[in-house]
Order: sequence, then C-alpha cells, then structure tokens
Amino acid sequence: MDSTIDFKNDDDLAFFGKVNASISHELKNILAIISEAAGLLQDLTEMAAKGQKIELEMLNTCSQDIIEEIQRGFTTIKQMNTFSHSVDAPLKSVNLIEVLDLMINLVGFLSFAGKVRFDPPQDEAAMIMTCPFRLQNLVYHTLVFAFKSVGADGEIQVAFHREPNGSARIAFSGLGTKGDLPFPSQETKNIAKSIGAEIRIADDSQTIDILVTQLGENSGYTQRHN
Amino acid sequence: MKVLLVDDERKFATMLAKRLLLRGIDIDYVYTGAEAIIKAETQRYDVAILDVKMPGIGGIELERKLKELDPCLKTIFLTGHGSKTDFEAGSAEAACYLAKPIQIDELLTILREVAG
Repeated sequence: MDSTIDFKNDDDLAFFGKVNASISHELKNILAIISEAAGLLQDLTEMAAKGQKIELEMLNTCSQDIIEEIQRGFTTIKQMNTFSHSVDAPLKSVNLIEVLDLMINLVGFLSFAGKVRFDPPQDEAAMIMTCPFRLQNLVYHTLVFAFKSVGADGEIQVAFHREPNGSARIAFSGLGTKGDLPFPSQETKNIAKSIGAEIRIADDSQTIDILVTQLGENSGYTQRHN
Repeated sequence: MKVLLVDDERKFATMLAKRLLLRGIDIDYVYTGAEAIIKAETQRYDVAILDVKMPGIGGIELERKLKELDPCLKTIFLTGHGSKTDFEAGSAEAACYLAKPIQIDELLTILREVAG
C-alpha cells in the first residue's frame, strides 16, 4: 500500500506549487521587515557612536518589530509544515476546523485576499475521513473564488455544520459579484468529485456550500488517487 | 529629490522610509495604491517606489495611474518574489526592479541614478 500521494495529477502538483510559492512570498516579506529593522538598529547605533541623540522609542519599536516578525515567521513555517505533511496519507481522519483554519491563513497570503469571519463550533467534533490534500485543494479554490468575488476590501464568512448523516457542510457566504471566473471550474469539479464532495451554489450566488462525505476504505484512496 | 514609497507591509514601509530619511531623502510613505493617488494629486514626486503585489491597486496598475497624473514620474518596483514572472510583469518604462530584502546602499544608488 502506498503511504504517500502519487503526484501524477497536474492539478495536484500545480496546487502544491502555488501554495508553496505564496508561502515563500510571505517569508520573504517577513525577512524584509526584519532586515529593515536590523538595518535601522545599525543606523541608530552608528548615530549614537558619533554622539548624535537617538530616540529610545525607535530602538524599542525596532526590537519589538523583530520579535513580532520572528513569531510571524515561526507561525508561517508551522503552517507550511502542516500543509506539506498533508500529502503523507491519502486517506486520513482530519479535523475539518483545522483544515479550514489552515487554508484561510494560506489564502490570506494572496494579495487579493480580503477579510474572513470564521467562527468554528467550539464543542463539536469536526473529524472526517477524507483525502486531506484534495480537501485542502477544494477549500483553497473555493476561498480564492470567494475573495475575488468580494474584492480586497470585502469580507466573506466561513461556517462549518455537521449533517445528520455524518457528512460535513462548509458554507462560504457573503459572496459578491466581482469575480470574473466561472465557479466551479472543471478543475474544481474534478477535485470535488475525486473525494466525493458536492458543490452547491445558492440561487442568489451569495453562498457556496461544500458537502464533504466520509470516505471509506473502498474509496480507492488507500492505494492512489487516479 | 522627492520620493513616494508605497507598500502594504506597514512595518517595512515605515522602517525603510525612516532609513532613507536618515540618509537625507525627502520621502513620503503610504500603505495602499488609493492613498498614493491622493498624495500624488497634491504633491509632485520625482520617484515612486512601488511594491508590485498589493491588495486593491497593485504596483503595476498604480504606476499607470500615477503616470497619468505626472508623466515625468520615475518608478522603482519592489518585489517579494524576485521571480522572472514578477520582473516581466512591469511596463517597459519602469526604471528598475529590486527584490526584497533591500540593500539600502543599492537602493540609494538606484534612486540617484533614476532621479538624474
């Protein structure tokens, strides 16, 4: 039995590359801030060495910014690590809330991403047996469309509901009309189909529901995807 | 030389502006393309330093809008990627591109070259 996803699908590989590129962009932004803060500290040190008066508040701001950005970097690397390991098991019981949280953060690195309100249920188990990587791909595509539909200043809402039959419903609401891409694209439909998920779009096009069903051992995911 | 810096990474923009200010550059900085247009409507700038990827109005589109206000404006683009795609995305008129993190002395040299 294969223990990892066999990346023979171009869409899978494209998604993996796209997400890693946006993470690298985020890390570069973090390093750029740390670099400027360190540079400013050096400038201030040189000024002090020449006997020029420097503002203590500026020193404090620089060191505080460095601490905050290092923490931001650790958080980003942790997200990258979680994402990278999502290819380890083709079929796995995953916490849907954690998947949504991770994808919201990763899509947030994109320049067009606006605000998102996500209030996960605190007292509800959100475990579901599925292909983690493909589920992430589906959520990512949907979030990208949702953000494009409202523009960078807009806000979308993401909610999670457990259905009586054990499946899960992820609702993306507050969508707008700015997006010029048709949704779902054939690629998105294929991803949904591959994990037995269903995409439902409300008549007013302001809400997209994704129904995620539990995958069993006979889903084909214990061997390989395609 | 009057410079306008536009970058949505607020800490980056603030600190880079302070470092350029310490080196005698007369600089204004804002965090969005919309703010930059408002600034450029009331103030003339010699050079604009623009981040390529920003929410709302991105650097490439912003350059076009700023040049409508002042065709003489020179532009330096900042990119997080430093990738070929990013570099090719700009207009042929763009003065140059710099990949983050920035080397302050390199930026100063380019600023002086661009401003003539």
